[in-house]
Amino acid sequence: MKPELNTKTRHKILNKEKALKSHPSINRALANKFFGHFCYVSILILCITLISIVLFIGKIGIQTFSEVSLKEFFFTLEWSPMEDLYGAGTFIIGTLTLTALTLVIATPISLIIAVFVAEIAPLWIKRIMRPLLDLLVGIPSVIYGYLGVTILIPFLRDIADIHMGDGILAAALVLSLMILPIVTRLIDDSIAAVPESYREAAYALGSSRLQVIVNVIIPSIKRGIITAIILGMARAIGETMAVVMVIGNVAQLPTGLFMPTSVLTSNIVMQITAVQAGTTWHSALYMMACLLLLISLVLIYCVRRIRSKGEEGL
Amino acid sequence: MFKKLSAITLAAVMLFASATGINAGATQALKGKIVINGSSALLPLTLQAAKEFKTLHPGVQISATASSSIAGPQAVAKGAAQIGACDWDASMDVPGFKAFKGQVAHKVAVIPFATIVHKDVKVENLTTAQLQGIFSGKITNWKEVGGADAEIIVINRAFGSGTRVNYQIKALEDTEFMKSGKNYKEVKSSGDMFTAVKSTPNSIGYIDLVYVKDGVKAVKLNNIEANADNIINGKYPVWAYGYYMTKGQPTGATKAFIEYLQSNKFQQGTLKKMNFIPISSMKDKK
Repeated sequence: MKPELNTKTRHKILNKEKALKSHPSINRALANKFFGHFCYVSILILCITLISIVLFIGKIGIQTFSEVSLKEFFFTLEWSPMEDLYGAGTFIIGTLTLTALTLVIATPISLIIAVFVAEIAPLWIKRIMRPLLDLLVGIPSVIYGYLGVTILIPFLRDIADIHMGDGILAAALVLSLMILPIVTRLIDDSIAAVPESYREAAYALGSSRLQVIVNVIIPSIKRGIITAIILGMARAIGETMAVVMVIGNVAQLPTGLFMPTSVLTSNIVMQITAVQAGTTWHSALYMMACLLLLISLVLIYCVRRIRSKGEEGL
Repeated sequence: MFKKLSAITLAAVMLFASATGINAGATQALKGKIVINGSSALLPLTLQAAKEFKTLHPGVQISATASSSIAGPQAVAKGAAQIGACDWDASMDVPGFKAFKGQVAHKVAVIPFATIVHKDVKVENLTTAQLQGIFSGKITNWKEVGGADAEIIVINRAFGSGTRVNYQIKALEDTEFMKSGKNYKEVKSSGDMFTAVKSTPNSIGYIDLVYVKDGVKAVKLNNIEANADNIINGKYPVWAYGYYMTKGQPTGATKAFIEYLQSNKFQQGTLKKMNFIPISSMKDKK
């Protein structure tokens, strides 16, 4: 039996709705508005903080160039603030070399572990490896540094039969261990995102598992691998504590794998507490911090470009 | 539930804040918070003094950290610490470091420094000339100074270290340290220096006597052993006054702590046991 919707009933219904819209509903509207404002304020605070950090570091860093020429800072290799020589070239080369070496060591291993965990391992190994990798990401870097000093360096001294284990190889090994879990998990996620239909099509055509992995899966996660590498690189470039404990901290170019050297981050942490504010040395260290910020920004921009290209490509 | 939790948290924060409030002047129940930063050479002394002071005045909280001497007066200048431990008088100009205006220096100890080597190094004595050669990079093999045929690994302290400043002036007689090389390494604090020399075979470094324990060996300088007697009678030259820097004259808990460190009881007792030398024992200024 359909209810009669004559004018009287309609008014009754409308009044009821109005009654419902009164007290609790005004609260709801206010709450929504307040939450919206709260979100905007939070975003504003975050942006202001980030921009202030960049401006603060940049402002002090730029003061370097009133005393030191751009060419001297970026392209000369002598870092001797006591003799007014501010050539940060050594540290820039050191950072780039260390990062390159770390990636060369870590990427193949990460790729193989990720492929193993995602494609080949039985379920019980998957269940152990994935949380284990997540746990490794969370270990503080100073612990990796300490392990490097107490275990890795004596070990390197023994097997390479050299005098001092500190140097770029020790730092690269420690950093590889640190970025391995991150890169592996990211590649693992990319592999999991490959549609099952790709694999099934390949198997239907008679491929072996290795052929599926090498010819189908890895080409389709190319962009995911690049993203993972770039994010690992960002972490490696900014790593300070683990590096400063094993790298030897001498401002010289590494002419060998076992020569004590220095990178941007380790030099900043060794010298920043010792210099007085307002001196050229102080500004030069801030300029190096600025460089690190710039490198991070560039890397993150690259990741976003690759990701967006990937999305429209697929 | 959330309301209760935030009320409890607020109450706990306020309680904690009131407990750490600074109260200057009250001598009966001395209260306050002292933050000490700076020299790692003085750190063991500071920590021990803080422990003893706390049993006498439980209302005072002392937190002491160390990296290198320059951090002490810098922290005081910024207001981050009440006392800056420094291995030189930071209110005056020192080679490499400008004076910190407005800070008052208080002598608290005489710090003896020694040259240390890894425990397996067979050399027992080094002359000033040999030390100068080793730390400037001219002498590179232990066999040149009477040891085994092995390359010398030089471990130096980073810029900012008071130990480095004093060692350079007193032991190396102003010779420049080497700056690079494949057997050269720099570390930040005294603790790092001890760990480095202990774990690196054929290494040489320098540190104050309180850190010389199992694992490193102190070598004689010009056939004179590094100990308190030789410093007091003037034979061993490598020592320096340890200072506590404060912003202006200290008051309250800070003043009491410094006075405790300078008291005869502490100087002749604990301080001597830790291989430092009482300030009263040194008659000349330097």
